[in-house]
Amino acid sequence: MMTIRYKISNHLFLSVFSLLMLYPVIWWIGASLKKTEELRLPTIWPSIPMWENYSNGWNFSADYSFAHFFGNTLLMELGNVTGGVLTAAIVAYGFGRLQFKLRGFWFSILLLTMMLPGQVTVVPQYILFNKLGWVDSYIPLVLPHFFGGGAFFIFLLVQFIRGIPRDLDEAAKIDGSSVYGIFFRIILPLIKPALVTVAIFTFIWSWDDFFAQVLYISSIDKFTVGLALRMFIDQFDIQWGQLLAMSFVSIMPSVIIFLFAQKYFVEGIATTGLKG
Amino acid sequence: MGTAETLTQAPHTKAARTSLRKRKNKEETNLAGYIFIAPWLIGFLLLTLWPIAQSFYLSFTEYSLLEAPVWTGTDNYANIFRNDDTFTKSLSVTFIFVLISVPLKLFFSLLVAMALSKNIRGMNVYRTAIYFPSLIGGSIAVAALWRNMFGLEGYVNQVLSWFGIQGVGWITNPDTALGTLILLNTWQFGSTMVIFLAGLKQIPQELYESASVDGAGRFRKFVSITLPMLSPVMFFNLVLGVIGSFQTFTSAFIITKGGPINSTYVYALFLYEKAFKHYQMGYASALAWILLVIVAVLTALNFLASRYWVFYESDGGRAK
Amino acid sequence: MRKRGSASLLLLSLALTLGMTACSSGGGNSNTSGNNAAGNEAGANNEPAKTEATTLSIMWWGPDARHEATKNALSIYTKQNANVTFKPEFMAWDAYWQKLPTLAASKSITDVLQMDAAFITEYVSRGQLEDLSDIDLSGIVDPKVIENLKIDGKLYGIPLSQNAQGIAYNKEELEKYGIALPKQNWTYDEFFQWARDAHAKLPEGKYPIGDSIGWDSFNFYQTSMGKDPVMAEEGKKFTLDKDLFMTYYKTYEEFRKAKIVPPAEQAAAFLENDPQADPMASGVLLTRGATTGSVSALEQLMPGKVGVVNMPIGPSGGGWAQSTIFLSVSANSKHKDEAKKFVQWFISDKEAGKALGLTRGIPINPEIYKELEPTLEPKDKLGKEIYDLSVEKALPFYSAAAGFTEWVDTYKKEMEAVTYGQQSIEDAYEKINKMGMDLAAKAGS
Repeated sequence: MMTIRYKISNHLFLSVFSLLMLYPVIWWIGASLKKTEELRLPTIWPSIPMWENYSNGWNFSADYSFAHFFGNTLLMELGNVTGGVLTAAIVAYGFGRLQFKLRGFWFSILLLTMMLPGQVTVVPQYILFNKLGWVDSYIPLVLPHFFGGGAFFIFLLVQFIRGIPRDLDEAAKIDGSSVYGIFFRIILPLIKPALVTVAIFTFIWSWDDFFAQVLYISSIDKFTVGLALRMFIDQFDIQWGQLLAMSFVSIMPSVIIFLFAQKYFVEGIATTGLKG
Repeated sequence: MGTAETLTQAPHTKAARTSLRKRKNKEETNLAGYIFIAPWLIGFLLLTLWPIAQSFYLSFTEYSLLEAPVWTGTDNYANIFRNDDTFTKSLSVTFIFVLISVPLKLFFSLLVAMALSKNIRGMNVYRTAIYFPSLIGGSIAVAALWRNMFGLEGYVNQVLSWFGIQGVGWITNPDTALGTLILLNTWQFGSTMVIFLAGLKQIPQELYESASVDGAGRFRKFVSITLPMLSPVMFFNLVLGVIGSFQTFTSAFIITKGGPINSTYVYALFLYEKAFKHYQMGYASALAWILLVIVAVLTALNFLASRYWVFYESDGGRAK
Repeated sequence: MRKRGSASLLLLSLALTLGMTACSSGGGNSNTSGNNAAGNEAGANNEPAKTEATTLSIMWWGPDARHEATKNALSIYTKQNANVTFKPEFMAWDAYWQKLPTLAASKSITDVLQMDAAFITEYVSRGQLEDLSDIDLSGIVDPKVIENLKIDGKLYGIPLSQNAQGIAYNKEELEKYGIALPKQNWTYDEFFQWARDAHAKLPEGKYPIGDSIGWDSFNFYQTSMGKDPVMAEEGKKFTLDKDLFMTYYKTYEEFRKAKIVPPAEQAAAFLENDPQADPMASGVLLTRGATTGSVSALEQLMPGKVGVVNMPIGPSGGGWAQSTIFLSVSANSKHKDEAKKFVQWFISDKEAGKALGLTRGIPINPEIYKELEPTLEPKDKLGKEIYDLSVEKALPFYSAAAGFTEWVDTYKKEMEAVTYGQQSIEDAYEKINKMGMDLAAKAGS
């Protein structure tokens, strides 16, 4: 009895709260179906839904459909996520578990790199990448992820690794495991939820990272979804319906990834069993 | 910089205490340590260090981007501290933003994460719905949306009018504009929440079960299990929240453009406009390095304070 | 054994990392050569005879229609000049101006680039653009127009289209409330009086005109009264006439009190061409400034309701009517001669003109315009109307001088503080004037 009422109140609270958070999304879908003249009206839903905002938006460019841009972006994301997940854990293990000279110094540097606003390093970085001949390729966008995936994720994983009791390492050591063995057999499985978090965030944030994309990608053949979306907004010519429709479509991969990947990060280690 | 030293000292001294290992062993872990951090270290030395050093050099120059930089010594710094009212203004706007939005977001996202950590049916849908606003963060739609909510004729004022309250143009009123940006920032609590969620799930259920056996109530469990076990993650969210909020940019850039009358002219926006709109990259670089020092000092304080409240399982349970 | 296994896995991941680096440097090289561009070229089906094959990189901003039209024009050029291919790069306005400074900093601006009057002085004064004075434009562009466009006696951008500044009004609503439509060549006094009269006939929440906080609006006023422009001689001479400044802004102050212009809080939310926040499309204002280039956006928001008139004038005239969009050649280009030949062709070739249509406004070349005239749509006609109404009394287009971009923003912020009642007009004047004087002194030194 008690638990059923508890469950119902839980669901009630959560659905009301979800609806509140989703209200803007509903507004967004409505707006994406409106004619331009109708957008200024306070109504949520259009009088006649313009589904062609979606089809026209999808095919706005004579050269490529959005499928091409989605393909490009997913390809870039594949690199980013692989790079981030692969290397962030390695580096975090080094910082979080191992003793070595100047560890504190390097860790401070790692944190400091996050504190300098990117706006002032973007130009020297562009000059560097330009000299290397990497402009108009995905390398400047993807490569940095292979170097630890960024300070944010390294620090995140360090915190998770430090939350794992050392008894486990000690036990493994007695069994003859090296530091490498401990990493692969103990730490890596235990931080799986955090790694999924890294993967999701890497995916979502690089999807959003318009400023870097606009700098480094110049030919339409290589455009990402983010770049393609900006094509709808010119100085005096904004295709509102198509813009809203396509930007809605553009966040769908992130939504889907989030929806399905979360079961891994929330499963946690409770079921894996930690002690005994 | 000394801060991270203190962060890493605890396990170090402990290791020294627990066993006097052979020197050879130490060299081995030295090597292993560098092997593990190598991906980052190589990337840092090859890709990151040069642009950072460049920006430091540029902070002592006049650099329009369109012409080669000209060395001007400490002029930029002197001008910033002596003559620039906008610097003071944007710094204070940013401080207010950080002071309010960081605790607010931490509190809110922890609360939601706890509500969402239960295992009930359909939870993944709720989680996704609640995470949704954070996904549209940088999207173009968010500016239009925020105007719809907080404009003079927006939904907020419509609701207020039911209670006979005459609203203001929240985004265009110099007294409330920053508040709406803080609210937007809090509304997009998704990533902080997800990290809390992952942290919560890492807490062994056994701890709660044995506490239940001991007759502990919900509040007691929260205080003596959840909070300490979650403290590393909370510390992470706090440190990153501070670092990130000092660089807050997107919402001010796309919604208010820093206005009205500079009331939302956050530091990063000021810096961006100096660099790319007013062709003063040298000056902007100096601004960036000043921000770096401010944030570094605050982060150092954070690390120092963490010794008193952050609990690392790996340190054997007690942080000192 | 087990130990070795995990170590090698680690090595593998490191190798992957490094491999990534190595591959990428190999892959990047192709960008500098023209191979890529040939692949991208729409409809370029020819393998040109290898007589000094040149790849011109070219960059422009615009909406999609302009992109398609321009790519077509480029392939026409390649057909006519088999040795030239293009590496086009195109994006929207915001992205363009975000990216260009970084390209300039790395000396990698494209050979040919589209330029805007608001930015050109900044790029010219820093030596980024090539002098194009020696391109023969006789019979294509009116020599007077060219004289007007010269910066320090030299031409840095080939004008592409006619543009003009005017005022758009909500024809439908003005008629509905029985307000006389604005007339061509109205004076500032008539304009202000019109606003007062219109206000009397309008219901609450509707305003005849908007407030004024931008430097350009005041500059129109100052120059129409026969004074120097605010910035002259490439920014070395700065004139902010205090009497005119006080008169002009005192009028607006009176208007704010009388609710002839909307309150600051409402005005600050305006965003031109936004369907919800556009001052006129949202139904709040009955008039607003518009150019030939921008009026079509407004017409799309409120089809059939927009009328246009020229800027108010003074004894010296008023408004401007000239090109504000150009093709320029990078000073760092390795193919300057080819680039110059191309930009000349761009505004003179008939076939190109047909391909480009009205995607950059009303073509500057009268012959090409004549052929396109029958294809004009209502939105284009409005633009043409602004131009025709303005051209008689037009003054030159005064853009902000190089180094004044920050001053432009400061002007707006100080005047915004006035509209919010946080600062007197006098104080705003002192600050704006001091900053301008300092900049002029710096430019002169």
